[in-house]
Amino acid sequence: MPEDIIGLIRENVIQGRITKDDEGMDEGMVGKPGVTELVEQALASDLPIQDIVTKGLSGGMEVVGQKFEAGEYFIPDMLASAEAVGVAMEILQPRLARSGIKTKGTIIVATVKDDLHDIGKNIVSILLRGAGYAVKDLGHNIDTQVIVDAVREERPQFLGLSALLTSTMARMADVIQILEENGLRDQVKIIVGGAPVSEEFAKSIGADGYGADGFQAVAVVEALASGTEN
Amino acid sequence: MTRKGLDGGSFKVLTEESISKVHRTAMQVIEEVGFEVQSDTALELFAGAGAIVDREKHLVRLNESKVKELVDVAPSEIRLCGQDEAHDVILGGRRVYAGTGGTALYVYNPTANQTRLASMEDLRCIAGLVDKLDNIHLFMLPTYPNELPVEQVDVNRFFAGLDNTTKHVMGGVYTLEGVKNVIRMAEIVAGSAQALRQRPLISMIACIISPLRIDKTYGDLLVTIARNGIPVACPAEPLCGATSPVTLAGNLVVQTVDSLMGVMLTQITNPGTPVILGSVATSTDLRNLRYLAGSIEMGLLNAAGAQMAQFYQLPFYATGGMTDSKTLDAQSGYESALTALLCALSGANFIHDAAGLMEFAMTVCYEKYVIDNEMLGMVMRAVDGIKVDDDTLAFDLIKQVGPGGNFVAARHTRRFMRGEHYQPTLSDRDSREDWEAGGRKTTWERAAEKVKELLANRRYSLPDATRQQVFAEIEDIVD
Repeated sequence: MPEDIIGLIRENVIQGRITKDDEGMDEGMVGKPGVTELVEQALASDLPIQDIVTKGLSGGMEVVGQKFEAGEYFIPDMLASAEAVGVAMEILQPRLARSGIKTKGTIIVATVKDDLHDIGKNIVSILLRGAGYAVKDLGHNIDTQVIVDAVREERPQFLGLSALLTSTMARMADVIQILEENGLRDQVKIIVGGAPVSEEFAKSIGADGYGADGFQAVAVVEALASGTEN
Repeated sequence: MTRKGLDGGSFKVLTEESISKVHRTAMQVIEEVGFEVQSDTALELFAGAGAIVDREKHLVRLNESKVKELVDVAPSEIRLCGQDEAHDVILGGRRVYAGTGGTALYVYNPTANQTRLASMEDLRCIAGLVDKLDNIHLFMLPTYPNELPVEQVDVNRFFAGLDNTTKHVMGGVYTLEGVKNVIRMAEIVAGSAQALRQRPLISMIACIISPLRIDKTYGDLLVTIARNGIPVACPAEPLCGATSPVTLAGNLVVQTVDSLMGVMLTQITNPGTPVILGSVATSTDLRNLRYLAGSIEMGLLNAAGAQMAQFYQLPFYATGGMTDSKTLDAQSGYESALTALLCALSGANFIHDAAGLMEFAMTVCYEKYVIDNEMLGMVMRAVDGIKVDDDTLAFDLIKQVGPGGNFVAARHTRRFMRGEHYQPTLSDRDSREDWEAGGRKTTWERAAEKVKELLANRRYSLPDATRQQVFAEIEDIVD
């Protein structure tokens, strides 16, 4: 029953189960196929990729978002679901290109030079992958030049910069300035985040967006993405 | 998840040696000083059981081996049942439960910042409220209905409890006739006299009057309850410097003697009667001889009482979780939490008065039931302690995550986060921005909202046929 597989993908995204070994939210899930196995089954059954993505993956994430808003789901629950979607998207990537379905684009993320904090940036990465973006994570304590080079070579649609210290947030301005000097600024939308960062600061350094937390970061990227398309 | 009946005992205010000294002194008091028993019925029962009785002075003395013999007859574990079996509790050992207590005369309204006399409707509402508050495991009748004549009070109080909550209903009693009517009513609710004995939906309290005295009324009540095989607590209320020595150890001796005398009377009357050793011991404000409900010494005394009950292998009724504050302020929170926590960590079986009570136990407050429900949830989490095994030590996970990593996205976090960490239902953990946007509500304001919601969503009521039968067979019930 093809519809069942899509329904099961949706259910397993809600459960946050990447593989059959994941325990998920409810009791007794271990051993049953997870998102990885189900997506492979769906592909083997020639189910429309569009359905897998919209009804299965996005449909599941929508429910997860509601549960999170209601306080029923915690961040680790949300991340488990987002990770499951991220893994599914990786499996689907080659087919997506072939089937002509437009992908959501690539985003490079990094914590700036001299800043060793990366929990927030890692969460944002998982959530962005869960939202269907291809994410390249450069890591933390990343040289300004390394970030600029990556933008030049990878040509991502987005660049996400993170800083957790008041002493390192100025590095974000450095990155933007050097991108400008190299004529790369206009080809990438830049969003910034981190505890000391504010909407005001983001504007002052010429960033395109600011996310107060991981979920807002995804929302800002989505808004910028639709703005780009229009 | 609701935590109840977990083993406490991680806190021991008394050493083994101290327990033994309190015990020896208590035995010395029972043997050498004796105990006054004003009820003739009770006095003759003691005489028949081999006590040395001075009928002129109404004085009873027993030696240690006699005490041991009588105390050993009492069950070390008793089951108190709810109309819903899920609410059954088993008192004994170091298992910890918390419940309401009484008997307050007033109700405090924090919105008006005023108190008023408590009524029958308050009993119904509070029973309905407690029915929905998971961390309050037993319902003890909390208020006195001021509008009723005393001969109608017992049966109406218990009816209000049974008709509004499926949790076990315990209560103090006032008249012999009342006790009999309450038992008849409970038999109807249980289905039969036998069914009530098998699954006691109610239990009673008969107080011992410290120091060293069983008065006529309570002596007769205790005998009547025991004859009927209804579970009964016989707490004593020695007050430091007033009705007991001012020292905590001296208070503990009086408390132990007094409650043991009650336990022994029930076992002489009806061997095997489910009986609960009890303590309402506390401090006195020696500037005005006021009974104190929120002193830290009260927490210590009742924690120690739990250890004495464990020593005698008797179920224990402790007192904690109250405040002397007149309002829902910081004092109300810290006094309630500290006293309840001390009792719980020492393994007190039933911490009574643990919700809703303030102002020398004279007043209850609806909002405080909701606040205390949260506090008791935290207390029960503390009783649960720290589980140490391979899964919780999480070496494999620490290895996998490594230096500088994080545990937010780990499956292990997901698996354990809800069980290992108490999930608040009332406390504010919002950011300042969200808290301000939500109207800057204080604890009691949030509690007031919850009270409204819970009262709107009640209520349990006895099955119609049962209600009709109760009205037909029991007089004076006000509906």
